[in-house]
Amino acid sequence: MKYILLMSGTKVGVDTYVAWSKKDIDTHMAVLKSINRELTESGEFVDTEGLARPDQAIVVRGQNAGMPITDGIFPEAKEFLLGYWIVDVRSPERAHEIASRISVAPGPGGGPTNMPIEVRQIVSLSSKLS
Amino acid sequence: MKYILMMNGTKADFGEYARWSKQDMEASVAFMRTFGKQLKDEGVFVATEGLGWPDQAKLVRAGRNGTPITDGVFQDSKEFLAAYWIVDVDSPEQAYKIAARASAAPSPGGAPSNMPIEVRQVLDNHSDLGI
Repeated sequence: MKYILLMSGTKVGVDTYVAWSKKDIDTHMAVLKSINRELTESGEFVDTEGLARPDQAIVVRGQNAGMPITDGIFPEAKEFLLGYWIVDVRSPERAHEIASRISVAPGPGGGPTNMPIEVRQIVSLSSKLS
Repeated sequence: MKYILMMNGTKADFGEYARWSKQDMEASVAFMRTFGKQLKDEGVFVATEGLGWPDQAKLVRAGRNGTPITDGVFQDSKEFLAAYWIVDVDSPEQAYKIAARASAAPSPGGAPSNMPIEVRQVLDNHSDLGI
């Protein structure tokens, strides 16, 4: 079963992150990369992506004379998707275990960020009907 | 450049969707399938996934001994990711045009839903964050 692990944050949260020292960011990323490697080795890795900064987010609705209607204004409290992992695992518990490891990736100074990771199952279009 | 097009909704939005008639839902799913096929034919398709219902969402943190602490309580206002598409396009404008097509997915009765679609670039490298 496939699960998606979602890392989200507000604009303020992202500003805080990009202000970390280079060393803190490198340490953080090294841990995330080693988790990716382990998941690849265990055959559970499906995909991971990181998204651009929330200040580049645009919301698109419908069309006006064939042109999309775009808007870049969001509530301050909005949680933006920052990145995700898709894993193919045997149980939801295993997905939770992987998410908890991502959650303890180090923050500034080396302590765990304890960032909450949202875990959702991936479904097929037709199963949404049932 | 790769862009992700995200469809988000609150639990209330999902609840409403779950009450659509079978016919309306089939029309919605048929639209999504055709849309996915069109993106493939146009050579811009990278990926698409649909997510499970928000009432099955879990928020995970690690406990002191490293075991996961799961929580399924979210604010009513929380926007949950419902589905996404990743497209590989030449410009942000092209991504917005594709998002506008997704936004026109039919609502009950067949009129365009005009649902908001959030568009963000997918990073090639972490350093693209400007750090």
